[in-house]
Formats: sequence, C-alpha cells, structure tokens
Amino acid sequence: MEHSSRAERVLRGVLITAILVFFLFPILWIFLMSFQTNEEVLRIPPSLFFKPTLINYASLITGKLQTAAGSLDLAFMLNLWNSVLLSTLSVALSLLLGVPAAYAFARFKFRGSEDIAFTLLSFRFAPPLLVLLPLSLYFQDIGLNDTYVGLIWVYQLIALPLILWIVRGYFEDISPDIEYAYRIAGHSWLQTFLRIAVPLARPGIAAAGLLAFIFCWNNFVFALILASADKQPVTVGALAFVTASGIQYGQIAAAIVLSITPTLALALYAQRYLVEGLSLGAVKG
Amino acid sequence: MTSIAAPVRRRKILLLPYLLSLPALLVCIGILIPFVTAVYYSMLRYRLNLPYLKGFIWFGNYKEFLTDSEFWNTVRVSLEYTALTVGSELLLGLVIALLLQKQSRFNNMASILLLLPLMTAPALASLMWKLMTNPNFGVLSYLVQLMGVHNFQWASSPNSALFTVVLVDVWVYTPFIMILLLAGLRSLPTQPFEAAALDGVPRRFVFFRITLPMLTPYIITAALFRLLDAIQQFDIIYPMTQGGPGDTLLVFQVRAYLEFYQYTNVGKSAALLMILWAITYALSNVFIKQWLKLRERARGLA
Amino acid sequence: MTDKAKDFFAAFKAGKMNRRELMSGAGKLGVTAASANFMLNAAATEALAADFDWMKHKGTKLHLLLNKHPYADAMIADLDNFKKMTGMEVTYDIFPEDVYFDKVAAALSSKSTQYDAFMTGAYQTWEYGPAGWIDDLNAFIKDPAKTNPNYNWDDVLPGLRASTAWNGVPGGALGSADAKQWCIPWGFELNSITYNRKMYDKVGVQPAKNMPDLLEVSAKLTKDAGGPYGIGVRGSRSWATIHPGFLSGYSNYGQRDFTVEGGKLKAAMNTKVSKDYHKMFVKMVQDSGPKNWSTYTWYQVGTDLGAGASATIFDADILGYFMDGGDNKEKGNLGFHAFAANPDAKAPTPNVWIWSLAMNSAGKQKDPTWYFMQWASSTEHDMFGARKMDFVNPVRASVWKDGDFRDRIAKSYAGYLEQFDASSPGAKIYFTAQPLFQEVTTQWAETLQKMVAKQVAVDEGLDQLAASLDKKLKDAGLG
Repeated sequence: MEHSSRAERVLRGVLITAILVFFLFPILWIFLMSFQTNEEVLRIPPSLFFKPTLINYASLITGKLQTAAGSLDLAFMLNLWNSVLLSTLSVALSLLLGVPAAYAFARFKFRGSEDIAFTLLSFRFAPPLLVLLPLSLYFQDIGLNDTYVGLIWVYQLIALPLILWIVRGYFEDISPDIEYAYRIAGHSWLQTFLRIAVPLARPGIAAAGLLAFIFCWNNFVFALILASADKQPVTVGALAFVTASGIQYGQIAAAIVLSITPTLALALYAQRYLVEGLSLGAVKG
Repeated sequence: MTSIAAPVRRRKILLLPYLLSLPALLVCIGILIPFVTAVYYSMLRYRLNLPYLKGFIWFGNYKEFLTDSEFWNTVRVSLEYTALTVGSELLLGLVIALLLQKQSRFNNMASILLLLPLMTAPALASLMWKLMTNPNFGVLSYLVQLMGVHNFQWASSPNSALFTVVLVDVWVYTPFIMILLLAGLRSLPTQPFEAAALDGVPRRFVFFRITLPMLTPYIITAALFRLLDAIQQFDIIYPMTQGGPGDTLLVFQVRAYLEFYQYTNVGKSAALLMILWAITYALSNVFIKQWLKLRERARGLA
Repeated sequence: MTDKAKDFFAAFKAGKMNRRELMSGAGKLGVTAASANFMLNAAATEALAADFDWMKHKGTKLHLLLNKHPYADAMIADLDNFKKMTGMEVTYDIFPEDVYFDKVAAALSSKSTQYDAFMTGAYQTWEYGPAGWIDDLNAFIKDPAKTNPNYNWDDVLPGLRASTAWNGVPGGALGSADAKQWCIPWGFELNSITYNRKMYDKVGVQPAKNMPDLLEVSAKLTKDAGGPYGIGVRGSRSWATIHPGFLSGYSNYGQRDFTVEGGKLKAAMNTKVSKDYHKMFVKMVQDSGPKNWSTYTWYQVGTDLGAGASATIFDADILGYFMDGGDNKEKGNLGFHAFAANPDAKAPTPNVWIWSLAMNSAGKQKDPTWYFMQWASSTEHDMFGARKMDFVNPVRASVWKDGDFRDRIAKSYAGYLEQFDASSPGAKIYFTAQPLFQEVTTQWAETLQKMVAKQVAVDEGLDQLAASLDKKLKDAGLG
C-alpha cells in the first residue's frame, strides 16, 4: 500500500464515497424526513426542500400525536425506556453468564469442553419461532408471560452465543503468563480472574457487549409475541404510527432517529474498543 | 494448552470449568425444554382451529413435505437468500474493511458511521425502504426514474423482489461483517507483510496467500453469525412483502409464522421449523469444524 | 357537574330541548362545547343506567386488546363514562393492524388470561370459535340478569347480527337458528367506489357503472389524469386482498368461494364466469392499478387516494370517508359511488367487514367483561361515536335514523349517505364460513399476484388453486 499510484488513490476515493453514499443516504433521508410533516413526506415527486418542523419529535416526546382525527396517546418514550431496560439487562446478564464460561473454555481443557461450548453456540441455531411457539404456553403456566424477566431470558438466545464466541476468542489471545505469575504470588483463582483476566479482556468484552446490545435492541419477533403494550420496545412500538387513517411517516422517521441515538452514543463511547476488541484468537496462538 | 490452574489443588481444577460454564448452560437448557415440545408438536396432526383432528402421526408432516412443491420452493428460496446475502455481504464487507484498514481519523469515523445501518432495527428499516421504493413518493423510485429506468417495481415484482430484500439485508448487515473483518485486518501481525514487501512479492499474491488465509477465522465467524440470521430471515421479508409476490419470498420462518399465527396449523409449522433447525445445524457444523481445525493448526504452529 | 347542569342535560335527553338549545344553554351555564359533548354522553350514560345494577362489579379491572382504529379511539374517548357508571377500571393494549391478528392469535393460543375482550372481524371467529378461544355470547345477551333492559340487541342491523353468528359447521349458513353469537358487531364497512371528483371532472369521466366500464374509466384516468393512476385496490399476500372490492365484484357475478354439498366443501373459483371476472380484475390492475400493487394494503390504498396519487378506489366506503377528511391533500374532493360490478345485476352486493368485540374464553372475569361489551355496543355509545367521532359505519338502526349523525355526514361527506343507502341492502358476508378462511384467502391472494405478474395464466391459475384448495380441505376433513 506504500507505493500506491495516483489512479489507485482516485479509485479508492471513488469506492469509499460510493460506499458511504449507499450506507448513509437512507439514514440521511430518514433524518430529513423526521423534520417533515406527513404531507411533505408524501409529495410527488419527493423533494429535498421543505420547511423543517419539530412536530414529530414534540409529539413523540410529549406522547401526544395530533392528527386530524383527534389527539392520540403514544407511549413512545415508554417504548424507548423498555428498549434500554431490556437490552441493557439482557446484555448484563449475558456478560455475567458468558464471560466466566468463555474464560473456562479458553483456559481449561476439560472433558466435554468443546461439546458444552458447541451446545451453547447451538442456542443460536434454534429458529426463534421454534422456541417461541411452545414457550408462550410455558410462560403462561409459570407466569413469565409479558414480564421483563421472561423477555430478558429469551433475549439470552440472541446475546449469549455472540458474547461467548467473541470473548472466548479474546481470552485465547491473551497470554496466560500474567495470570500465572499473579497466582504464584499467592492470590486466589477468583482474584486472578477478576483483577487480571477480566480487565485484560476489557476490549473484547466491550466489543462483544456492544454488538450483543445492538442485536437485542433490534429484536422484533420475540417482543411482538411475548410483550404487551407496556413492556414492548421501540421496534414493536414504532408500529403504532401505522394508523387506520394513514401511516405517520414523519413520526416513524423521528422514532428511528431517536431509537438509533442511544446505540450510537454507546458505539461512540466504546469506539476505541470496538475494533481492537474483536480479535478472535486462532491467529496468534 | 496451558492451564494456569495446573499447580494448584487438582479437585478444584476438575470442577472449576464446569462451575463456570454451568450457569450459561442452565439458561440454555431452559430454552431447550420448549425445543423438545416443538419436536413433539412436529409429529402431531394438530390444527388449533380443528381440534378434533389432533393425533400423533409420527413423521406424517415430514412425509407430506417430500411431495409438496411449496415446501421445496421454500427450501430453495431460503438457501438462495442465504447464499446471496452472506456472499455479497462478505465480499462487500471485505472490500470496505480493506479500504478502511489503515488507522486514521477519517477511517475510524467512517467505520463508526457505517455501523449506523446496523443500529436501525430491520423491522423499522424495511418500513423505511418500503417508503423509499414507493412508486409515487419514494425517493429511490424517483432517482431510478431519473436515471431512465422506468417501471422498476422493487419488492412488488417477482423479478426484483429477491433483489430488493437482499439489498435491504446487505444494507443492514454488511456493517456487521465489515467491523469484524476490520478488527481482523488490524490485528494481523506485520512481520509477514514486511517480509513480503522486502522480497517484492506481488500484492495480489500477498493478498491471496497471506492476508486471506490469516483472516479466515474472522471470515468464518462473520459468515457463521450472518448465516444463522439469514437462513432464519423474518424481520425484513415479512414487513416488506409477507412472502409475496406470489410465493417468491416464502422463506422458512415467514411460512412457519403464517402457518402458526394465521392458519393455526401447529403441527405443520413445528415440522417446518424442525427442518430449518436441521439445515441450520448442518451448515453451522461445517463452519465450526473448519474453525476448530484452523485453530488447532494455529495452536500447533504456535 | 352541578345539579343544575345535570337537570339541564336530563331535559335534553328527555326530548324537552333540541341540540341547539342545549348547546347555548350549556354555554350560559359555563360549560364549554367540548365538555358539553362529554356531559351529553354522561347524561346518556345515566339514562342507560336506569333499572340495572351497573355497579355490581365495582372495582374489577378489565384489560382489552384493541386494534389501532378510529373505533377504538371513539371508545377510549367515551371510556370515562363507563368507568364512572360501573366503578370498574379498564386498561388496554393497542396494536396496529399489520400485526394485530397475529398478536390476537398469539394471546389466544397460549390461553393467556391477560385480555378479557378484544376486537376481531367476523371471519377470524371462524377460526377462534372452533378452537375454543371465544365464548358464545348468546348466554349473556339472552340473560336479563346480565344484560341491561335498554340494551336493545334487535336494534343492531339484522344482517350484521346474522353475519357474526355461525353454528360452527363448515359451510353452515351464517345466522342460522342454531348459530352461536361469536362476537358483537361494533362498526362495519362495505365496499364501494370512492373517486376523486376533481380528477374525474378534469378527465371528463363518470364513476363506472359496472366492471367492464370500470376497466375503461380507470385506463382513461391513468392515461389522461397526468400522473395519478386509475384505480387503487389491495394486493398484498393476505386475506385482506380478497375481502374488499375483489369479493364484492365477484359476488355480484353470482360467484361463490365454495359450494357445499352434503356437508362437504368444494372450491368453486374455477367456473367460467369466475375466470372471466378474474381476467377483468387482473387486467384492471395491470393496466391501471398501482405499480406496487402486490404490497398494497388498506394503508397504501388509502394514502394514495388521500395524497392524490390515485383517482379511484374500489375498497371500504369508510376508507374513502377517512381520506375525505383529516389533513389529507385531497380532503373534500372525494365522491362516493355504490357499485354493481355485473352489468346484469340489479343492485350492488358488497361484502362487509365487521369490526366486532369478542370475549376471551380463558378470561377469568366474564360477567364484568360482558358489562363492558354491552356498554361499548350500546345505542348510547354508538350514537356518541357516530355523532362526535369517526365511528362510522355505526351498526345500529336507530343511529342511522339519527338526524344529527345524518346531518353531519351529509354536510361534510357529499354523497356518502346515498352511497350507503344504495349499497347496504345487498351488503353481507359473501364468504363461506369455514375454519380454513385465512389459509384459503391467502392462497387466493397469492394466485392473484401470480396472475398479475403474468407468472401463470388466469384459467390455469384458478384450476391449480381449486385443486390445491380441494386437497387442503380433504386433509382437514372438510372436503
């Protein structure tokens, strides 16, 4: 890459621009749309010029949607809160369960270790609907239907395998020598794990946690089937803008913008870990 | 493999890893109970709207599928969708990762910005794409018309429906692959590349003989997780076309969803999902075996 | 409310004062127009309360599953009166129509006790009833201890009462003597033509007289209206595509979905007449329909009409009604037109969609639930919704006779009442009641999509559809 020709630099520039346009144009368009009234969204042909309005955000935040048919109550902020709550707690639980297990698989060779690791990954093989179908019946019986606990449990299907896989890889990349030295110095295993291993693996844990958070946040079908209105996250809640008297595109756009914000903030915060943390073992040995 | 616990008490060593992985396993088994129930359901003639027909029919539902052209269509569409999305996302993700490989402010910012589509929930993203491709108000339809392509019907025509949903999938999930591969590229040891540069090895050769093989674990991981999602696709296709037009996009989960939540045919739905599970299992196994083999080799070399 | 104000509203209820007097009198008493509306219904609610112990289930909490719909909005606007009258608490979950029925199926199939009552269409009860998920409401309607004496069930339009009652036998006639009342009609829509008067004037066409005419008019509009397409109909891969305009026209040609012989069903969509009708419909969509037809649901059909992207719809009359008001671009420009597809037919035969209320079998508080249901379907609430909210079309005969309601509609929605009066005599459910309803209609829609996309010829497609449905019926023991 050191001796790149002029033609190559131009080509790279063109490629990067094209890629940024493809991935960011829809986001930009949604962003612009969130400042338009429904009437402006539905213009023929679509146009870049409009008078920006904050009405979509105002109605989302105050929970009152003014339509010609009257005022509607929206629970969007509650939905957003639910998303935050569900995703955060799910990822926290996943980390709590997944990091020790990942450590065990990375550091110990024990009978059945590969089998257990595979079983845990195969969690992810079961189609969500296959699990959902009987699960809603069982949840009804044990009272977990429409509870945060029930949802967080099911969300482990999404978060746990991802965390296990990535964190395990990261642990394998860290040389065990430091841990070994620390243990020799007379510290217990638990101290070693908490003070040495986990801090060293922080980038891996952060990156895995962030990705798991995104996938939990984006989940649709579990929440749709298992949660009622007061527990549902934004993915299901945003459908409330599809009303009998029309689809409120402006509000959907604003809802998407608002729903991306927390994840984006988290990603910006965890930025430095993100790339660094996704090293998956197996390379350096 | 080195074990840091080796010098300490033996009994504890034996138990410790089990204790560490047990909680995760227990949560997993909790989810496996419904799985067993689903296996049982798949062997029933069981329609909620015709309760008197309920009965155990062993593999009757599965046998039905053998001669059912709708079923084979579902298999074909699901595999096509998976191959197209995972294939194009890997390719595109790799290109982007290579372009952004060098650490720089611009590249780091670009890689975060490129994650934005991944943060848009697919269920909401498909709603937006539906509007953007609307023939009257949609900005994409408008742009395509400006470019002189008339009558391109996006998700509404059987000719372009698969293309459209694959496009949305690529838009949402390529960033996932990109970020994994970028992490992989940046963590590669510099030594072999420096040596190659000194020897004047052609770049194409470096890429295919050094970069790609060293990147393989990352590619496998990225492909594995995408594969699991893609073959179980639901969030994009269902809101966009409900499996239509015709039977063009009736992938497994969309069909199973319709069979259960709309036709209340529990037995058939469960059998469909079991087959999906089997396909997922088989495909993932190939990837994981490959991954384990690579790891073994890497450990062996280390 | 002061006693003086109370007397005042009671006088109105008793017919001693007309509405204008009431409103001006209320103004003098310091009651604003908005609260006057609410109090007016409070007075009506008090009238309803006579001779019946509404407080019997005081303190009970009900939870409802509702569809995002103006009917639900009207109910919620009036809900405080119910709470006050009964001392009960009512909460609800609202889901949009795209996922609403899936949510209902999910809740009912898991025997969830969460919801006491929910909104449904009559078609869906053909699945829910046999599955044992909903209760026969005759047990409540016919029990004077549970139903207030002023409920007046017979006031509900007879066609709607019959359409929501079924004996559970596949192919059994709706509203037969042994039928169970699976749900209570709440609000309904019939299918007719709504058109953009401005566009029609510009192009110089009249609303179509019949199906062949509709094809011509739509094609001309597509060609000459300068942008908008001729006709909007639904086309998504779902039952929703079959039941509105499509089935209304189909029935007008005397065609049925199934024939019933000796208790067995047989698919009947591959007759000569049916094939000709399908050909016309398919050609109409190809020539003059929306380009994205195969993803068109109620929402897109409505949005396009309201935004001036289409000139006509052959869909629910109330969809036209909604688009003629609100903040739609084409507000006030729409006209309504009863439509008989068959040139030889004497009158329109619109298929109807009835939003109804049903009771969850797994629910644990059925008597209180019925209190809510009879209030929500009472004349008083129906009247409130029809006069003040968008609770159209109301299901009670007495509301249709109400001057206030008729005046409001006649004033703001020109031609709507005429359309309704011409359409309604032939309006009923034209589907054969059977538990595979969703499966059959989804496959029917799939076949239509294939025909429009020219993946299959109409004749061939219908033969395949009939054969496939016959097999499904046989497998299910129905054919």
